Amino acid sequence: MSESAIITTNNVNLWYSDKQALESVSMTIPKNKVTALIGPSGCGKSTLLRCFNRLNDLIDCVKISGEILLDNENIHATGTDVVMLRKKVGMVFQKPNPFPKSIYENVAYGPRVHGVKDKTELDKIVEQSLHHAALWDEVRDRLHDSALGLSGGQQQRLCIARTLAVEPEVILMDEPCSALDPIATAKIENLINLLKQDYTVIIVTHNMQQAARVSDYTGFMYLGKLIECGKTVEIFEHPKEELTENYITGRFG
Amino acid sequence: MVKFMKKMNGVFNASEGTTRFSFLKEQAIKTVFFFTAFFAVIVVLFILLFLLQDGYVIFEKVGVLAFLFGDSWAPTAVVPLYGILPLIVGTLLVTLGAMVFAVPLSIGCAIYISELASPRVKQVLKPAVELLAGIPSVVYGFFGLIVLTNFIRVVFDLPTGETWLAASVLLGIMALPTIISVSEDAISSVPREYKEGSLAIGANRWQTISRVLVPAALSGIAAAIILGIGRAIGETMAVLMVAGNAGIIPDPLWNIFSSVRTLTATLGIEMGEVSVGSDHYSALFGVAVVLLIITLIVNISAVTILRRLKEGRTAHHARKPFIPSSMQESLKRVGEVSVIAALILFLLEAAPWYFAAVILLVCGAFYFGRNRLSRKHIEKIAFGLIIAAAVIVIAILVIILQNIILNGLPALSWEFLTQPPQNLGRAGGIFPAIIGTLYLVTGAIAIALPLGVGAAIYLIEYTREGRITRLIRTGVDLLNGTPSIVFGLFGFAFIVLYLGIGVSLLAGQITLALMVLPTVIRTTEESLKNIPQSLREGSLALGATRWQTISRVVLPPAVPGIVTGAILSIGRAAGETAPIMFTAVIFSSRFLPNSVFQPVMALPYHLFILATNVPGASTNKYGTALVLLMIVVGFYSVAIIVRNHFQNKSRG
Repeated sequence: MSESAIITTNNVNLWYSDKQALESVSMTIPKNKVTALIGPSGCGKSTLLRCFNRLNDLIDCVKISGEILLDNENIHATGTDVVMLRKKVGMVFQKPNPFPKSIYENVAYGPRVHGVKDKTELDKIVEQSLHHAALWDEVRDRLHDSALGLSGGQQQRLCIARTLAVEPEVILMDEPCSALDPIATAKIENLINLLKQDYTVIIVTHNMQQAARVSDYTGFMYLGKLIECGKTVEIFEHPKEELTENYITGRFG
Repeated sequence: MVKFMKKMNGVFNASEGTTRFSFLKEQAIKTVFFFTAFFAVIVVLFILLFLLQDGYVIFEKVGVLAFLFGDSWAPTAVVPLYGILPLIVGTLLVTLGAMVFAVPLSIGCAIYISELASPRVKQVLKPAVELLAGIPSVVYGFFGLIVLTNFIRVVFDLPTGETWLAASVLLGIMALPTIISVSEDAISSVPREYKEGSLAIGANRWQTISRVLVPAALSGIAAAIILGIGRAIGETMAVLMVAGNAGIIPDPLWNIFSSVRTLTATLGIEMGEVSVGSDHYSALFGVAVVLLIITLIVNISAVTILRRLKEGRTAHHARKPFIPSSMQESLKRVGEVSVIAALILFLLEAAPWYFAAVILLVCGAFYFGRNRLSRKHIEKIAFGLIIAAAVIVIAILVIILQNIILNGLPALSWEFLTQPPQNLGRAGGIFPAIIGTLYLVTGAIAIALPLGVGAAIYLIEYTREGRITRLIRTGVDLLNGTPSIVFGLFGFAFIVLYLGIGVSLLAGQITLALMVLPTVIRTTEESLKNIPQSLREGSLALGATRWQTISRVVLPPAVPGIVTGAILSIGRAAGETAPIMFTAVIFSSRFLPNSVFQPVMALPYHLFILATNVPGASTNKYGTALVLLMIVVGFYSVAIIVRNHFQNKSRG
């Protein structure tokens, strides 16, 4: 890969108790591109994704080895501020998870916890983020209504806006469309295309068409291993590995 | 094969012949269960009816308003005065004080258990909190009377420590377990996605807790506090033993060293000495009516919040009523100002100056330092406070247990456990009291178990959710919220006098049974709900009748849950004083009762009298307290062990 890498993993292994979920995964994620992780259920793609912002730390029995570099710094190095790491590496979840607060408060939450207090500043961030997430026009008149009243697709875009509001470098998306209908999915996919101008996006998806549509690079995972990784066009048209080909052509999965 | 066919034919013939019979049988069973379920509603109505009937005279004579707002309670004066305002104010003040003490501690402790504690610490903390809930109120009262009031007297240099402050602290301690466990539940059941969402944005743990988790759990926490309030308002014995019981409104109103008298304490003190049918007697029932109504309102609001919460969660989101953020801001400001005002008022009037200086210093430092502290420091301070809250809760438990165990152990001997008391309990043992308590709880559970299990079966197995189940559930909730002293009054008016059973073992058993009935119903309901629907469907699909399905498929796996509930109820009944005080007990008896129509001795009442009315029985007091504590805690531990054992087993 010729582009400059923002994340590099070297030989990452991960165990839940004694069950190994990732096996020597080494890959690079290029900056300002969309990288898709595909593979059958349980292959470890979500686990890998959650390594990038150390959200696996929340689970008690997780053990991890190998190194993950973000901007050439090891995110597991002692002294790493995990809070700052997560500010840099935002995440959008499988199921939209807006907080039970108003739309405004949801977006303002991130800047607030990072110390922005000025009201006009906050207003500006909220409006920009909602614009960026292509939600502004739909909610501009009801910013102070509950976020739980939005439709699923709107909720997911709100979660994206919430992530954008803290200006991350990388956005992780864990099957962001799996709970949405096709129209809402299309909107999110368009959004991803716009986002890559400013951000690096890593998306886990079950849906191969989606991977083909939105991503520049694709990694195929199987049973905790990264089988193959490269430009999306090449992975889909000339896969090097037989496993990849079988999966992409729908022979298993 | 042939044999098998024959057998099959036999079965079918038989069942065709008995279809009608089995239909009738099913109907009869259903009817029986319906009546057991409806029993709770009937009891609540009866309680209200009887209290109103006996209290009616005073309402008529004095007038409802004069009764409620008269500022002097002097029922034994030459010109008796029946104004209960001081009692209402006393109840409210004591409860308020209890909440000021208990709410910060409980919420801190709940946050610690649900968010900070490691699994191993959690395993110690949760049973400890349950243990705190298991200590009988008369033991709390005993501890308060001997240790707490003394402590307050010495520290604040007062003539007596029996004050509003003492009552509030003690009630606060007693409300801790309720508030802790319900709020811990609320915080733990906030969806994990919220937490992950917040952390993924780069909020630290404290920001996540304070801005997402706690706000999301707020209604559950509110319900927890209201339940705690209900517990505090309805408590009798402990308050009675430490509040001083002068029927006055503190002057000035925030004088926490004033003696106060609550509604419950009034009943506890005067009911035993009043002559039946007098105005005073009627006035006491009037007090009970007021007390009952207050607690019912408190409990219903808590239950409603909790229920709506549960429905909201299952019916999925889209609850709208959010206070708009602009209004939230101003509400916050109003709250801040009023807290500061109250603090200043308190400092000016009540506290010694060095105390005031320290508080002002801390507040000032916090207020000016807040904006300069980095969020890391804020997190450290917040976690420090939370851990401190948890440590204080545990320390309270340790202090109480240590005091009673260390002082009680020397009294324990074979003679103490097997001899009747002598010299008004100063010497001799407590054998009749132990046996009396065991008789009481055995009878109570024998009555409550069939009724309660039947009611739960009806609610879960025979009906859909609808108007009738709602009515029954409300009845159960009301019964659950009824203060134990009110059960005592009802037992006295209805069972002892109206039914003419007299002060007796039986009357006490029935009264206790009514009191624990809601616990039995609830725990049984819970365990029935946990039986998967597919089991029932599997059985019904084979052609089994309702009752066959219930008795052979549903009930057997629910037995551990039911047993747990029963043991918890026994533990609770064993520690109660107020319900049996007027219905079943005598203080000193050399003999055991010959029949259920004779009064008995009971441990909690024995302890109460020793602690309050018999000077110089200090070893035996502690011995009695320890034995009572061991019996009650023993029952609770067994219940917890049974529950955990089967929980682990069912998880496989």
